[in-house]
Amino acid sequence: MSVVTSLILRQMRMPFIVLILGYSVSIIGMTLSPGIDDQGQIWYMSIFDAFYFVSYTATTIGFGEIPYPLSSAQRMWALVTIYVTVISWFYALGKILSLIQDSTFKEALIKNTFSKNLKNIHEPFILICGFGETGTALTKALTEKEIRVVIIEQDNEKIRALPLQQYPVFVPGMQGDARNPEHLIQAGLQNNHCRGVIAVTASDETNLKIAITSKLLNPNTCVVCRSELKEFEENMFSFGTDYVINPFETFADTFGMALHSPSLHLLYDWLTGVPNTDLSNPIYVQEGHWIICGFGRFGAGLFEHLRRYKINVTIIDPSNELRDEFQSKSENKDCDFILGTGYDAHTLIMAGIENSVGIVSGTDNDSNNLSIIMTACEINPELFVVARQNKTNNERLFKATNASLIMQPSDIIARKIRSLLTTPLLIDFLSKASSQNQEWSNIAISRLSGIIGESRPTTWAITINEQDTKALYQVLKYGRVIRIGNILQDSNSHDVKLNAVPLMLKRGNQFIMMPTDDIAIKADDEILICGTEDSKYHMKWNLNDIHRLNYIMTFEDAPDSFLMRQFHNFMKRKERRNRPRKQMIYKNKHDNN
Amino acid sequence: MNREKVIFSFFMILALTLNFGFYAGDVDNPDHHNVYELFAVIVVNLIATILKFGDRSQLGAMLLATSLVAVVQLITASIVWGYVIHVQGTGLTPTAMATIVSLSGGAMLANIISVVLLVIETTTLRH
Repeated sequence: MSVVTSLILRQMRMPFIVLILGYSVSIIGMTLSPGIDDQGQIWYMSIFDAFYFVSYTATTIGFGEIPYPLSSAQRMWALVTIYVTVISWFYALGKILSLIQDSTFKEALIKNTFSKNLKNIHEPFILICGFGETGTALTKALTEKEIRVVIIEQDNEKIRALPLQQYPVFVPGMQGDARNPEHLIQAGLQNNHCRGVIAVTASDETNLKIAITSKLLNPNTCVVCRSELKEFEENMFSFGTDYVINPFETFADTFGMALHSPSLHLLYDWLTGVPNTDLSNPIYVQEGHWIICGFGRFGAGLFEHLRRYKINVTIIDPSNELRDEFQSKSENKDCDFILGTGYDAHTLIMAGIENSVGIVSGTDNDSNNLSIIMTACEINPELFVVARQNKTNNERLFKATNASLIMQPSDIIARKIRSLLTTPLLIDFLSKASSQNQEWSNIAISRLSGIIGESRPTTWAITINEQDTKALYQVLKYGRVIRIGNILQDSNSHDVKLNAVPLMLKRGNQFIMMPTDDIAIKADDEILICGTEDSKYHMKWNLNDIHRLNYIMTFEDAPDSFLMRQFHNFMKRKERRNRPRKQMIYKNKHDNN
Repeated sequence: MNREKVIFSFFMILALTLNFGFYAGDVDNPDHHNVYELFAVIVVNLIATILKFGDRSQLGAMLLATSLVAVVQLITASIVWGYVIHVQGTGLTPTAMATIVSLSGGAMLANIISVVLLVIETTTLRH
């Protein structure tokens, strides 16, 4: 029995007993009251008659005095019946209504619905802790890839707003404290289908606690954490958290990528962005003097990357301690540190804004950042602006400033986790790509842009095995040779290729970047492919349907049915008989393969 | 002393005793079986059933089941009674009476099981 029914039944005991007692007293009374029938004889109601009379009286239906008009004695008792039974009905109804309004009951009802929804998930799901900006972005991205998601969030308002969001798959949400192991278990941590836990609450401490709980209670799940502070990051790794994502570090790395090679940065942006959105343009960072406003985690991360390319940097920050620490280091000798806030023109001019190529507005206050950008751009409109956006709802403001790079923590984390969970191969690809030279990424970008058109591509991975590519796997087992070029063939037309580019082939520990068309595919290979949504759909079908695969290999329509197959073979045999002998042997051999 | 237990035991045992009172006598003799007694058994049994509503313990569930069995049997008996008098109009023939009494006998068996379970529960209680 569920908690809800048990709660209802427990509360309804008293009203039911009152009802039964009221009815039974009324029924007994009615059978004992003497009546007069149509012949003037005295008669008594049977229990059946009395039960009928009381039933329609108690429910205020009132069929009247049947079978005979009541005598005065019966009417006296009928009065008692009416008041007793009608009042007990009101009591029962009132109790039910007050029970429905009761907050404990409501809570139990919500919990009950949640656990029922959780039970109905018969496929792998991912538990997201924290439904803030990052959580919302992630839920959207994962559900679009048809991955089931369960949410636990402390704020009841956010959970209540959850059904209003239109996700492609149903997303159950629970209000609860993710620091409490009980709540995490209720949210499905120990469920057989729970594949991963993502801790993206605003506090590092909570994320740490979630990671510990998840790894202790369900060691097989993959745990991904958001962390903004170094010491928490190390702590999280110490007990086996699979991935820790630091938005500041990730952004600094991306910035470094843009400094190193604009096309590599563009590749990263295209592949990790939300599919089907507009393509971004490449970012070119010029060499020259840079200014960093705000020397916190963000500014310091970017500073490191800029210094790697020997770029001259001036720092503006109001903190005295940071200045002392900065100037005590010998490698910072040629960089200035100016005490100030950066949103007044005076400080910026002192830092040499007129001759700078770039500015970083990296304070933890959005209004200050916007003000820095506005002031700086007024003095020097040619600046390359890197902006730190702290709150999602300021997105429009930052877009309006024409900043070249905008750092938004929730977007960065969502991007990284999305690639981690949907195409882990992409992470390998990007790390391998970053060690390639500028020319390589230029070629990659030009190949991609030739195929994908106007919007961001989809990236997907195929594994050559029984489940993922049924037909291809079977055909490979028979020893037929299939090359990368074959799987890129469109199945509708002979000389049309799918709009897709193979990015990487993984065979055991070996990675082949940008595999060429002539590479033969082997069983258990993993191939990372990038292309349009449409071509992904066609490719999946080609690799799983034996007839379509056959067609793209041979461009012959093989007969499907038994009779037609027999006829086809018969015709082939006849054809073979008329051919010279040598060719027939060759043909046979080919058939056996 | 647990007030809830006392109330429930009272109704359970009352159901059994009333049931026995109705059941005792010749099986097919209408004079030995009073209609008000049957009515009382049904009411008391219903109350005993409702008192077990929402009890999530194993024994509570068992008691709920046995009381429900008794209620179903007794209500069937009362329907038979009403049917032979008001619908069929044959009155309480020995056959009809035997059916009613044997149905109530079945209910009594269920009530006996309830009381036995109750006794077991009481004796296993540690003080």
